Amino acid sequence: MSREAVNRTGQVVVNNSAVDAVNKKSSELMKKTLPPFVALISFIVFWQVVVTLIGTPHYILPKPTDIFDAAVKNWSNLSTALMTTIVSAVSGFLLSVVGGIGVAVLMASSKLIERSFYPYAIILQTIPVVAIAPIIVIWFGSGMNAIVIIAFTIGFFPMLSNTLIGLNATDHNMKNLFYLYNASKWQVMWKLRFPAALPYIIAGAKISCTLAVVGAIVGEYIAGVGGGAGGLGYAITVAASRLQTPYLFALGLSAAVLGIAFFLLVSYISRMFLASWHESEMEQE
Amino acid sequence: MESAILEMKESAKEPVSMLRINNVSKIYNESITALNEVNLDIPEGEFVSFVGPSGCGKSTIFKIIAGLSEPTTGKIEMISPTQQETKMDRNDVGFVFQHATLLPWKSVLENVALPLELKGVPKKERQERGKEVLGMVGLDGYEKALPRQLSGGMQMRVSIARSLIAKPKLLLMDEPFGALDEMTRQNLHYELLKIWERTGMTVLFITHNVFESVFLSTKIAVMSARPGRITNVFDVPSYERDDSFRSTAEFSHLVGEISKGLQH
Repeated sequence: MSREAVNRTGQVVVNNSAVDAVNKKSSELMKKTLPPFVALISFIVFWQVVVTLIGTPHYILPKPTDIFDAAVKNWSNLSTALMTTIVSAVSGFLLSVVGGIGVAVLMASSKLIERSFYPYAIILQTIPVVAIAPIIVIWFGSGMNAIVIIAFTIGFFPMLSNTLIGLNATDHNMKNLFYLYNASKWQVMWKLRFPAALPYIIAGAKISCTLAVVGAIVGEYIAGVGGGAGGLGYAITVAASRLQTPYLFALGLSAAVLGIAFFLLVSYISRMFLASWHESEMEQE
Repeated sequence: MESAILEMKESAKEPVSMLRINNVSKIYNESITALNEVNLDIPEGEFVSFVGPSGCGKSTIFKIIAGLSEPTTGKIEMISPTQQETKMDRNDVGFVFQHATLLPWKSVLENVALPLELKGVPKKERQERGKEVLGMVGLDGYEKALPRQLSGGMQMRVSIARSLIAKPKLLLMDEPFGALDEMTRQNLHYELLKIWERTGMTVLFITHNVFESVFLSTKIAVMSARPGRITNVFDVPSYERDDSFRSTAEFSHLVGEISKGLQH
């Protein structure tokens, strides 16, 4: 019956060459990861040697070993701060995902609502977060609540605009098909427009998750309270005021690692969602 | 007007009309005439092709029949096959487009069962029906595959299966094989004819391929552009539709006549 074609994933062929494929994969991984790894190591060694030779004081430019020592020495403070920031960033991110998708679905189901409110959403988006943060602190007080809300505010708009673009980009033929088969508005939304918008939603989530980390740290900077509960942002302000430059470097690096880890996690989850059908997440054949 | 004469000739058999295209015109933006006074009677169980150059309004007719577009003047009458005056409802119409328009995140079976899913048919029943129509188009065993794993021809089969699942009495096909290669297309011609014979439904088929229209149809409406109108209606006598039909004198004769008709 299938005279004209066969499955083109080519999975049938593999079997005995599966082991080769695994070897090939790991050697390709080496090819990809080895150069940046070597570059990083060389950079750190270069930094260490140059700073040691010139003798720059550690409060101006610490050596990599100084940074490492500072991280170890302040580990209990650093880890609590990191945990606090993780909690704030993740909560803010989840709120922005739920809120962004919710508002986008609302706007997409009514042209009137979209026309009335979307322009203001764009205007609100252009106000820098440092300008809004103090107002949020006045309303919600210093501490976790304000920080989560700041992280939410900064992650919300990419979520909203991406989801809305996705919901409005549904293939015209598909929409006709649903119309011809008497689909209700609700069915068109949840069985067609929403799943079709998933790639856009996930692109939004990838932007939002890194922004939520930035938002959380900025929030802590402004609204952080003392002790470990202040998170990375507050710890940075304290370390800066005490001229603990090596620790400052350690905190900055931790923030970067957190952002990257969060991004990778969201990318991984998105791959699970889309792997089966969307081109952007398919493995290269 | 020629179509009316042809209808009269056929009246000996008294075929039951299923669809009446009644003086339908469509004017876009008050200036572009897409369709000009189109009249056609489509008897039940016929396989009617609309052949014409691009821009002759073939797709516009279909959109109007499907209800995606309103005629500027005139009307489409769908007559219930039970001959009661009640209008045929949209559930009795199936659609196949030029592109397979499958949902990429759904399996073949789920795609095929979509019309029933939208109607709220229970999952078990629609899966059974889905397997049945997949069998009709020769795709047994592909239930769990995803659309992107199939070739263009197979995707079109899925699309055809989907159009059949709600047991339509009228099937609208808008250049369904236009994007397929010749071999695939010929295979699908046989499959489609088999399905048509088995179900007894009325098929309306848009194409710009004269050979295809002669091979498949019992009736061919030739259209011309600017303004879009039906210039000729040909009846194709009932031949055995197999490979040898393509090389008969009658086949070439009809192809020649229709090609001539297209040059108007």
